[in-house]
Amino acid sequence: METHSSQTFPQKESLQRNEQREEPGANSISRAQPPESKPAPSNHSHQPSKSVVVTITNPRGLHLRSGRDVVRIASQFQARITASNLSRNSKPVDLKSILQLVQLQARQGHKLQLAASGPDADAAIEALRSQF
Amino acid sequence: MIGLVIVSHSAKLAEGVHELAAQMAGDQVGISQAGGPSDGPEALGTDAFKILSAINEVWCEDGVLLLMDVGSSVMSAEIALEMLPERQRQKCLLSNAPLVEGAIVAALHASLGEPLQSVNAVAEAALSAPKLANSA
Repeated sequence: METHSSQTFPQKESLQRNEQREEPGANSISRAQPPESKPAPSNHSHQPSKSVVVTITNPRGLHLRSGRDVVRIASQFQARITASNLSRNSKPVDLKSILQLVQLQARQGHKLQLAASGPDADAAIEALRSQF
Repeated sequence: MIGLVIVSHSAKLAEGVHELAAQMAGDQVGISQAGGPSDGPEALGTDAFKILSAINEVWCEDGVLLLMDVGSSVMSAEIALEMLPERQRQKCLLSNAPLVEGAIVAALHASLGEPLQSVNAVAEAALSAPKLANSA
């Protein structure tokens, strides 16, 4: 497994605080991102970020059930976490969304680039890299 | 943790979608199904009383999300809600999500402990989620 890592220093979390100032109902809705394939935000260079390339080892590829476990783990982190399928040259998708994750159409042997940005980016990548 | 109700014209389809959803949710989320008509010669249809009892089967204070296939599934679900006491009805939500994708997403996010509105929002986002990698 090859590994590319990149790391930057943490910044103050003022941006995120601002984002959470919404009325209670709207707040819970806004947490649920619609599955638009947005790449990592452009200001992510100010956040701790980490990226790694993993290879799919499961003979059945990245299927619905293993995808479920990936989403469960990814959802425990604040960081924005994306994956792109290097073997298909695909755009990054949100790893907290099961429907985006299955769009990776990842088969055994495919290489996925996982990228996390946010305060717990390192921990997120560490927790996820063994899931493929 | 919210409950889910799967509504379909076909009992078999409701059962199959339930099976998929249960796989995604583990055993932490209450999921019930209301598939097919009540009694009679018709094989396909929906029944408000079946839906009502499916809601009661998974009822919880966090709320219940109903996922329907098409057409009269929606009407029967609306009628079922009208039969509920006001207090319960306020915590039930009809989802605009597509049945299969919606159930998969809703089950997973319900199991993460997300609130009703939030689970529905991710499920409804499935309406615009492309299936093929190259159509994204």
